[in-house]
Amino acid sequence: MAISRSTYGTRRLAIVLFACLLIALFLLPSQSQRLLQYVGGPLGQVLSVPLAAFSTVDHGISETWSGYVALQAVHEENRQLRRDIDLLKGQNNQLRESVAAAQRYETLLSFKQQSPSQTVAAQVIGRDATNWYRGMILNKGEGDGVRPEMGVVTPAGVVGRIVKTNSTSSVVLLVTDPNNAIAGVVQRTRDEGVVEGTSNGRARLKYIPLLSRVQAGDRVVTSGLTGTFPRGLAIGGLTQVEKSEGDLFQSAEIEPEVDLSKLDEVLIITAPYDDAEAAQKLLQEIHGDRKKP
Amino acid sequence: MKFLLYLLLALVVVPFQTTLLHYFSVFGVRPDLGLVAACLVGFLGGELDGLILGLILGCFQDMLSAGDLWINVVTKGGSGFLAGLAGRHMAHITPAVMTAGLAIISCLSSAVFLYSLNPADLDEVWLGVRSTIVVQAALDAAVGAGLYLLFRQRWSDDRMVTEGML
Repeated sequence: MAISRSTYGTRRLAIVLFACLLIALFLLPSQSQRLLQYVGGPLGQVLSVPLAAFSTVDHGISETWSGYVALQAVHEENRQLRRDIDLLKGQNNQLRESVAAAQRYETLLSFKQQSPSQTVAAQVIGRDATNWYRGMILNKGEGDGVRPEMGVVTPAGVVGRIVKTNSTSSVVLLVTDPNNAIAGVVQRTRDEGVVEGTSNGRARLKYIPLLSRVQAGDRVVTSGLTGTFPRGLAIGGLTQVEKSEGDLFQSAEIEPEVDLSKLDEVLIITAPYDDAEAAQKLLQEIHGDRKKP
Repeated sequence: MKFLLYLLLALVVVPFQTTLLHYFSVFGVRPDLGLVAACLVGFLGGELDGLILGLILGCFQDMLSAGDLWINVVTKGGSGFLAGLAGRHMAHITPAVMTAGLAIISCLSSAVFLYSLNPADLDEVWLGVRSTIVVQAALDAAVGAGLYLLFRQRWSDDRMVTEGML
C-alpha cells in the first residue's frame, strides 16, 4: 500500500516537473536553453563513450560487409572496370595516334602548299628486302605518276630518291646509302659538293674546294643542279670536316636532317618546280645572288 | 601445283620480310627469310625445287629492293640449287648440318652482294663482313634450324616417301 502511494506520488511529481519544464521552455526560452546546455555538456561527454564504441562496431561491421561479404560484387565490378580501362586505354592510344597522324599530315600539307614543287604524298609501307641497301618501300607507284630518279622529302629535309617503281609501289634509296649521290651546297659559304651515303649510316659531302672555309655546324642544302630536287632543301649539318695532306678536295661528314629510322609519310617530288613562273623566279634569284659582291 | 604452292609461299614470305621482320632485327640486320626458305626447300626437296622457289623469291625481293634487278634472283636461285645439291649428297640431314649449311650458303650469298656494291677498300669489306655477313649468317642459320626442328617429322616422312619412290 505504501509502495503504491509512493509510486503514485512519484508519478505526480514527474508530471508536475514535466509541466514546469514545458512552462519554463515556453515562458523563459533563452534561460531554459542555457540551463539545458549547461546540463547537456557533461551528459554529452558521458554519452560519447558508448557512442564511440557502438560507432566503432558499426564501422567494423560495415567494413566487414563491404570488404568481405560483398566482395563478390566488388570483384565483378572490378573486372568490369578493368575491362573498361583497357578499352579506354585502347581508344586513348588510337586517338593519340590519330592526333599525331593529323599533326604530321598538317605539317606535310603546309609544306606542300609552301613548296614550289609538285609533290605526291606517300606512306612508308616497308623496308628494303635485303640488308645491303638503305631503302624504303612507298605506297605510291607509276599509277600515281611516280618515276625513278624523283626526289623524296619531308618537311624536315631530303630523304632520298626513287630508284624503282611498279604500278602501285616504289622503292626509295635513302640519302645515307653509299650508292646515292645528291648535289649539295653549304648554306653559309655556298661551296658546292656531292652528298653521298656512308657505310656507317650517315652521309658525306665530297669534293668541297680545298680553300673553302666550311666548318662543323654548317648546314648543307640541295643545290638544285641535278633536277631531282629544287634548290634549298635541307640535307643535314656538317659534324666533322676532313682535309688530308695532298688531297685536292676536302670532305665533311653530315648528320642527316631527317630521322630516317622514324619515317611514316613522305612527299615525292614529281616536278621540282611547279610552273614556269616559279622557275623564272628562281633564275632571277640565282642571277641576283651572282650579281652581289 | 607445286609451282603454285611456291608462288603462294613467296607471296607470304617477301611481304613479311619487308614489313614486319625489322621487329626481329639484331644490330639492324634481319634474317633473310627468302634465302632460308629456298635453302630449306632445296635441302629437303631437291635442287630443282630449291632453284624454282629461289627464283620466285628472288624476283619478288628484287622488286622491293633498291639493288640491281638480277642480284636476288641469282643469289636466291643459286642458294636453293646449291642447297639441293648438298641435300642430295647427304645421307642424314640433322639440325647441325642444316645450321652449318645455311650459314655457309648465307655467307656465299652475302659475298655476292658485297662484291656487287664495289667496296672502295679493304676496310669497307671488313665492315660489311663484320656488320652484316656474319650477323645475317647466324640469323639465317638459327631461323632455318628452328624451322627444320619445327617441321622435321613431316619433312623426314616426305623425304623417305620420295626416296622410296625413287
